[in-house]
Order: sequence, then structure tokens, then C-alpha cells
Amino acid sequence: MKRITVAVIGNPNTGKSTLINAIAGTRLQVGNWPGVTVEKKTAFLQVEDLTINLVDLPGVYSLNPYTQEEIIARDFLIKEKPDLIIDVVDATNLERNLYLLLQILELGIPVVMALNMFDEAKRKGYEIDVNALENALGIKVIPTVATRGKGVKELLFAVKEVAENKNAYIPQTLNYGKEIEEALKNLKKRLEKDYPQVLQRYPSRWLCLSLLEGDEAVLKETGLTYIKSLLEEIRRPLINTFNDDIDTILADARYGIARGINKEVVRKKEKLEPDFTERLDKIVLNRFLGIPIFLTIMWIVFKIAFDFSGPFCDWVDGVISGAIAKWTSISLDALHSPEWLKSLIIDGIIGGVGAVLVFVPLIGIFMFIITLLEGSGYLARAAFVMDRIMHSFGLHGRSFIPLVIGFGCNVPSIYATRVLETERDRKLTALLCPCISCSARLPVYVLFAGAFFAKYGATVIWSLYILGIIIAVILGTILNKTFYKGMKPVFIMELPPYRMPTFKYLMIYTWEKLKHFLIKAGTFILAFSILIWVLLNIPYGVPKDQTALARIGKVISPVFAPLGFDSWEASSALLTGIVAKEIVISTMAQIYGIQEEEEAQERTTFRNDIKNILVSFGEAVKNGFRNLFTLKSGVFEAEEENGLKNRLQNAFTPLSAYAFMVFVLLYWPCMVFAFTLRAEFGSWKILGQALLIYTIMPWLTTFIVYQGGRLLGLG
Amino acid sequence: MKLSELKPGNRAKIVRLKSSDFLKRRLMDMGLVPGEVVYVEKVAPLGDPIEIVVKNYHLSLRKNEAEIIEIEEVK
Repeated sequence: MKRITVAVIGNPNTGKSTLINAIAGTRLQVGNWPGVTVEKKTAFLQVEDLTINLVDLPGVYSLNPYTQEEIIARDFLIKEKPDLIIDVVDATNLERNLYLLLQILELGIPVVMALNMFDEAKRKGYEIDVNALENALGIKVIPTVATRGKGVKELLFAVKEVAENKNAYIPQTLNYGKEIEEALKNLKKRLEKDYPQVLQRYPSRWLCLSLLEGDEAVLKETGLTYIKSLLEEIRRPLINTFNDDIDTILADARYGIARGINKEVVRKKEKLEPDFTERLDKIVLNRFLGIPIFLTIMWIVFKIAFDFSGPFCDWVDGVISGAIAKWTSISLDALHSPEWLKSLIIDGIIGGVGAVLVFVPLIGIFMFIITLLEGSGYLARAAFVMDRIMHSFGLHGRSFIPLVIGFGCNVPSIYATRVLETERDRKLTALLCPCISCSARLPVYVLFAGAFFAKYGATVIWSLYILGIIIAVILGTILNKTFYKGMKPVFIMELPPYRMPTFKYLMIYTWEKLKHFLIKAGTFILAFSILIWVLLNIPYGVPKDQTALARIGKVISPVFAPLGFDSWEASSALLTGIVAKEIVISTMAQIYGIQEEEEAQERTTFRNDIKNILVSFGEAVKNGFRNLFTLKSGVFEAEEENGLKNRLQNAFTPLSAYAFMVFVLLYWPCMVFAFTLRAEFGSWKILGQALLIYTIMPWLTTFIVYQGGRLLGLG
Repeated sequence: MKLSELKPGNRAKIVRLKSSDFLKRRLMDMGLVPGEVVYVEKVAPLGDPIEIVVKNYHLSLRKNEAEIIEIEEVK
């Protein structure tokens, strides 16, 4: 049995992901390329007796090693040397797509072209002569329609055919013009003479072209940095003839060939009227309507992501902390387990599992929408509309979406950073997200504002949201000039035609993300929940002010003295707030001895509980849809707790209460955010950066607020 | 004239790309090579970036990126 590795490459927006899904379906495995956030998809396929190891390379416009995506694609092709390459080409935009194909052909690896969106090209009036294209390039060309699975079988058989008869399908060497070919020949001769071992290690045409271009990465890798003067010598006649620099000469040569082939094989009927995309863009990107339309779409996204998913999250929470906790408790009682073990299992473990699962409806629904927006082509428009604003903070237009989503919850924001094109933008945006005040912080504000600023409560809460945004802007500027300086990002972005992604693609992608969250982030969140339980409960059975947590609270409380709140109660509450910010309130309630109302446990049977779970799921569906069609957002609701308010009024002054709120706004993101951040970027380093930033910055900010307030005589 | 100065609805031929770094390579990879005719479709609501049509597809770029592209207007 034969095994081959096949790399799939193509420009962005060519339907490559959809094609990969159509080929591999559920056999697809999604992960990241080592050390970066760029997605890596692989699958094993069987075509008769041939085993294909399919590797999806990132979407790129060229193989010049500048962006992360290009470096990954190039390195894979050069170092892993796949047996065959499938190049996915957008049939509606053949000429630009051919540019990448020409670079691939330079590698001398057999290529099969998937001429995708063949139907769309036809509808748009393009007639492509597939045979002529095959002849011009010397490779097999298979027309495909990935969204409907058309041509997939033919593509795989073509791969098998080419893999088994490699000699019959050697890609043609396309002539780049007399002068360039001459230069390449000279260079090759010199390499053959002086550095045969280097020439042997790499595809020779590709190596010569890269050296001719003066590709720094290749020079370094081959150890040929010292032949720069030789390269100058070989380049000189070229530069003299064309009176231009070498980059332009080569790009021109490649595009010259692409233009020639395009002209030869594509017939286009005269364009009579603007197509659907152009007509829609007249409205969507309109000078006056562009921004209102964007804001409306953002509002709808927000509504679906939070108000629709909310009841489902509540349902998951209800089932776990209700029926599951109850029946576990009953079973443990029957086994005569000690109290502490019962508490560990129910509050620590089941509570921790609950903390992870509660996020499943939110992340699932959110990933679905964001993938839909991306696949439809609207996200590129959103970036186009918002870039002016975001650019002034050193961010990309696409950063707006993760940041806005942060008002609901910072966790999906991390996933939303995926829409950004560079690693730098992704990390930078993710690091700013915790400044955006999420809905879990609101209950804390409401409680404190109610207790101290009764009449001006709403204004005080608003001021916190605004403060968060201001801090994000400042922090963004600082990060741009420190950790993330030097990496100059560009905007240059294709505005692809509007298209409808397939439901299958959306579902597969969403499921992969959820699986990733459950495994990669979930395990850490669970472990951390158990740790917090331990801190709250050892030594077991002692009063609240003797637990390990209270002791740590007492040790660290002096740190908060300059901020206006140095009680161990406040610092312990902040510590538990790392789990989730709203927990600050319940910890305070516990510490100050306010009894939470115990929900009366009804005596029910197991069957009744199952029935209740199903009934409440029905309710969740109903409420989800009802929320979609009501104007008020359920995200920003908070409960009143009068007993606690009285106690707080004794423990804080209005100024220290405000300082405390500022600190809650800005300090350490919750554990779910922290571990999702680590999981998504696959690095502990970025989590370390986040923790460092969100330790120093909130302390400084709160210090300024509190001491400034005192100087103004507000204390 | 620079591409960043071309008004929407106008067509121009690329003469040369000034600068020599990554930005130039990227622009050329996207098909903005000398000799190519580009059309300015529109400007974003807030005045930047711009949308152009090149090689039959739509591309957006910031004005400070379009600045390095020298053009001559085609009537």
C-alpha cells in the first residue's frame, strides 16, 4: 500500500476550506501550526489502494516569506517536500490566482489544479477552456464546485493518477523571458561548480529564483549570505536591460505569463451591468449608510450571541447545579461519604465542570455567527468601514469586532481575534479585550453604585465603561510602542464577492472550535476551580476568617491600602473574583455573613427531574427566541441585595467604593478568559503578559483614581 | 500622481512603485505591477481606506499604502 503527502494551497477566498471539508468531512483534524495561531487542518484519505495524507496550508497570495502564513506554506513545501500539491484556484479570478501557481510550479513538485467556483464563473459570463489551461501549464486541471461537492471525486482520482505516473506529469518550466532565463542559467552554473551540496538540497529553479531576488530567508538558511556580490553581478545585466529593480522585474515576468495564459484560455462576455456584489456594496459601503449598517449588524450579532444563547447557558447551569448536583449529593449520602468529600465533588468538581459547560452555548453560537460573517464576505467590509478609527489606535479595522463582543463576554472575543490576519494583530487585540467591561462585572457595579451613589448610580456605571475604553486606547498605544513595535502591519485586503457558506462547513468549524475549547481550555478551568475550592475550604470546618483564602487575603491586603480598601474581606473577594468577576459579590455575602436564600429543595423523583430538564430546555428555546425579538438586552441585568449593601456602607467610603469598582473593572481577567487565551494562542507567554499587564495597570489606575480623589477632597 | 490622490470613478495606469520594502512586494503580489490599469471604486465612509479594482477583483488599501504607487490617469 502506498502513502503520499498532498499539500493543499490556494489564495484566500477561493473556497479552499469548503473544498477541504467536502473532501475530508469529519475525518478532518483541526489544530494549529506549531507556535502560532494559524490553523492547521489535516486528514487521512483512502483512494482505492492509495493512502493520502492531506495537509491544508494557510491561504496565501504568494510564496514570498513575509507574512506568517506565507512562511508556513513555503517552509512546508520546501522542507517537508510533499509528493503532490493541490492548488485551489478561484475560477472567477484566474489571472491573480495564476501568480501563486507559477511560484508553486517553480518548486518542480507535481501539481493538480482545482478550478473552484466553476459554476459562479459561468454565471458571471466567464468561459474557461480547461484543456487549453492544462496544456499551457502542463498540469491536470479539475473544475470543482466545493459548496456542492462537485468535482471532488474527480480531483482525488486525478491526484491518484498523477501520483502514480509522476513522470507523465512533470510540470512545465515556464519561460520567464530571455534575460531572466539567462541569469538563472548563469547562477545555476556557478552553484553547480561551487556549492553543489546546497543545490542538491533544494528545488534548483526555485533556489536560483529566490537567490536572484535576494530573499534574505533563503540566503540565511542556505548559508550563502557571502555570495551577495556574485548575485549583484548576475543581476546587473537584468537591471540594466529593464531599468527597474529585481523584485519588479520578476513580479512583472510572472504576471506577464499569468496575463498571457489568462487571455488565451478565458473568454468573457461583455460586462453589461454591475453584479450582485457591486450593487450590494453600493449600499453596504455607502458614505452615509456604511457605518449605521455596520452598527446594526453588530447589534444583531450581539443579540444572537448573548441574548439568544443566554437561556441555553442558564439551562446548562440549571441542570448541573440542580439535578446533577442533587442526585450526586443523594448518591454520596447513600455511600456515607464524609461532608468534605461531598463538598469537594459537588462544589469543586461539578461546579468546575459547570463553569466550563456554561460557556458551550455561547461559544458555539458565537463561532457559528462569526464564521458565517467571515464566509459571507461581510467581515472584510466591516474592516473597510471601521479601519479609519481602529488604525488611529494602531489596530486593524477587524479588531473592532472582538472588542465590541467583549462588552458581552471577553471569552468569545478571544475566538473573534481569529478574523484578524496577522499574529501581531490577533495577540494585541486579545490583550486589550479585558479592558472592555463584560457583563459579569456589571452586578458588582450595580451593587456598589446602589449602595453608595443611589441617585447617580447609572452615571457612575457609565463612567466605568468609558474608563475601560480609555484604558484600552492607552494600553493599545503603549503596547504598540513596546512589546509589539517593529512589526509594521499593512491593511491591503481583498474584498471578496458576497457568498453563502455551506451549513455543513459552518457546523464542522463550530464543532471543532467547541472541542478545542472543551479539551484545551476546559481541563485547566476545571483544575483551577478545584484549587479555588481547596483554598476556600482548608482547613476544613474552620470559620470564614481562618480559611487558606482568608489568610492569603490578609497577607496581600496591605497591597491595596494605597487604593483605599485594605480589609481582608475585600482582598479575599477579589481573589475569588478570578474565577468569575460576579463571584466577588457572593464571596462578600458569605464573608459578611449574609445568608443567601437557599432554594427550597423539592422532593422529586429521578423521572421527574429528567422531565424537568427537558421542559426547561423547551423553555430555554422559547426564551432564546423571545429575547431575539425584544429590544431590551438581558445581558445587563443584575439582582439587588439589600442586606449586603448595608454591610458595604460600613466597610467602604464612596471614594474607596469607586476605587474598588475601578479595580474590579481592570484587574485579572477571569480564569475562563485566561485559559482560553492560553489555549487559543498555544502559549503560556501571552498569558504571562496578560497577567503582568493586568496586575500593574489596574493598581496604577486605581491608585490615581483614589489618591486623586483624596487630593480633590472627595475622600 | 499618486494612487492615493485619484478620485473615485477614475482609471489610471501604474507607472512605478516607490519604496522597496515589504509593502511594495505585497502590493505587487496582489497584482499591482507597473503597466496595470486600476480603477478607484470608492472611499470608505470615514475617508480611509480606499477600494480599487485591479485584475478584475476588488482590493482595499489604506491611503498611506496607496501613496507609494505612482500612476498616470487614463481617460
